[in-house]
Amino acid sequence: MARVGTELHEAPGDLARSRGHGAAREVRHLTAWRRHQLAGWLFLTPAIAYILFAFVLPIIYNVMMSFEQTSPATIGSLTAPFAGLANYRFILGDPTSRAAIVHTFEFTAGSLFGQFVIGFALALLFTLRFPGRTIGRSLIIVPWLLPLIVTGVIFKFLFQVEGGAVNQLLMNVGLVHHAIDWLDDPHLALWTILIANIWLGVPFFTLLLYSALQDVPLEVKEAALMDGAGPWQRLRMVIVPIIMPVIEVTLLLGFVFTVKVFDLVVGLTGGGPANATQLITTWSYNLSFQQFSFGEGAALNNVLLVLALICAPLYLLLSRGSLRSSAGTGS
Amino acid sequence: MNRLQRSPALRLLCTLAALAALVVVLFPVYAVIVGSFESTQTLFSGTFYWLPHLPTLANYRTVIQAQSGNVLTSLIVGLGTAVLALVVAVPAAYALSKYRLRVTVVLVSSLLVCQIVPSIVLATSLFIVFHWVHLVNSYPGLIIADGTYAVPFSILVLRAFFFSLPNEVMQAARVDGASEWQTFRRIVVPLARSAVVTVAVFAFLNGWGDFIFALTVLSGSGIEPITLGIYTYLGNYSTDWGAVMASAAFAMVPAGVLLVVAQRYIATGLTAGSVKG
Repeated sequence: MARVGTELHEAPGDLARSRGHGAAREVRHLTAWRRHQLAGWLFLTPAIAYILFAFVLPIIYNVMMSFEQTSPATIGSLTAPFAGLANYRFILGDPTSRAAIVHTFEFTAGSLFGQFVIGFALALLFTLRFPGRTIGRSLIIVPWLLPLIVTGVIFKFLFQVEGGAVNQLLMNVGLVHHAIDWLDDPHLALWTILIANIWLGVPFFTLLLYSALQDVPLEVKEAALMDGAGPWQRLRMVIVPIIMPVIEVTLLLGFVFTVKVFDLVVGLTGGGPANATQLITTWSYNLSFQQFSFGEGAALNNVLLVLALICAPLYLLLSRGSLRSSAGTGS
Repeated sequence: MNRLQRSPALRLLCTLAALAALVVVLFPVYAVIVGSFESTQTLFSGTFYWLPHLPTLANYRTVIQAQSGNVLTSLIVGLGTAVLALVVAVPAAYALSKYRLRVTVVLVSSLLVCQIVPSIVLATSLFIVFHWVHLVNSYPGLIIADGTYAVPFSILVLRAFFFSLPNEVMQAARVDGASEWQTFRRIVVPLARSAVVTVAVFAFLNGWGDFIFALTVLSGSGIEPITLGIYTYLGNYSTDWGAVMASAAFAMVPAGVLLVVAQRYIATGLTAGSVKG
């Protein structure tokens, strides 16, 4: 039973050899092994307790709630009458919920596309040598550090019809003649939150892709250059295949971050106008916390959870290196 | 590196491209700072001024009066989140990297999955659960909720760091008769200082910048962090932009300070946390 790890102060070989040296020695080994195990578990206790309370319990409770007939009166108690699939039927039939699901897909696809293209271009730019690249690289992460609600509010300010910087710039340059109603035109508002979210996510893509590009061995690039490959060919045939694992992880994390977006949209449009920018997250908040239909909110939450967790197996597969040991990625 | 790099014209072009990108990236921050010094009349004049126009401190006066308590609240929440993350994550990361336990793979996988779970899913349930255990409208409740960003991230980043720590360090301590706890407390934690700082910085920023949990588990009474304070300025019909911009400027201060003081930690944390997952 005693499979002693190399982390323990004696290797498994020593334990096997010590078998012959009498029972007392073996007992001491077993005690050491037990102590090692016990200490490990004790170090893990706060984390396990936290995960159970802050993740496992809410997720299970969310599933339970989605099958319950909740009302403002049931908020004080942990359970409510069983409702079968009523909440899910509601979500499927509710035009706003369906629109929110569609918007979430559009918003996510658009964001990932924009963030990846711009982020990759900037990452490539920063691998070149030019004056100011270091300071540029450190400042590019600013959007990432700001509270998201602040970003939402700032963009609301910049996208105002009158007195908004964006309209003013476009009109001064002569690109448009009339102020654009970025936030109150239902056909435009989804584009507006998309632009804001691309702005927000580009630094993440830039930083991760840049650090992957830094890890491409110089010899590989030089070899491709010697073979007469042009810049585009080098990028497509040599560099992209090498950094593909990082591209995959980055897109995956980008997807997960984007389906979660909440603060930015609440700050910018609050889901409006006429629910044109309602995402699953914002509509779920509305159902639960404004209409007090926690059961319906929970059902919509589960749609989102399934959507996010589709990525989980892929994510685990891509980060399997870190499951066992320190998969170095450099930085 | 190659032919392109030797041409001064192309270098200049690169600098200009990077500069253009930075202008777009930093402009919103600039707009907040300029806006926070503008008078109400200017902000409602229907014209955007690229440079401060009739600067005034009136917005800051309003906001210091109205938001000082909220800034303090955000500080408490940020620090609380950092403490929670460290207390939970440092020992856990140590156990998950230096102890051979059956639960390691399962636990690390579940931490990766935890990072995927959307906050709104947790917020909806935590609101009801917190009602039941009397954590609604309390600092501990909000800090526990905010820890859902920081804890999984912190464990994974610290774990990656602990792998780089040679086992001999701990073995030497044990040979000298140190207990498991003493080894951890006296040897391992001091050696992990830089990783611990990285994690604490991020946990603080998470707690400071959190909006969704403040909006849900605080249910609008008593405790109000600055993020919620900014949100309440957004009226349906008219927004006091001066106050919004000045409080947004306050909300950006920690990010600015940390960017200057802890630049090294930030860059490490961002890449380590994401790719090493």
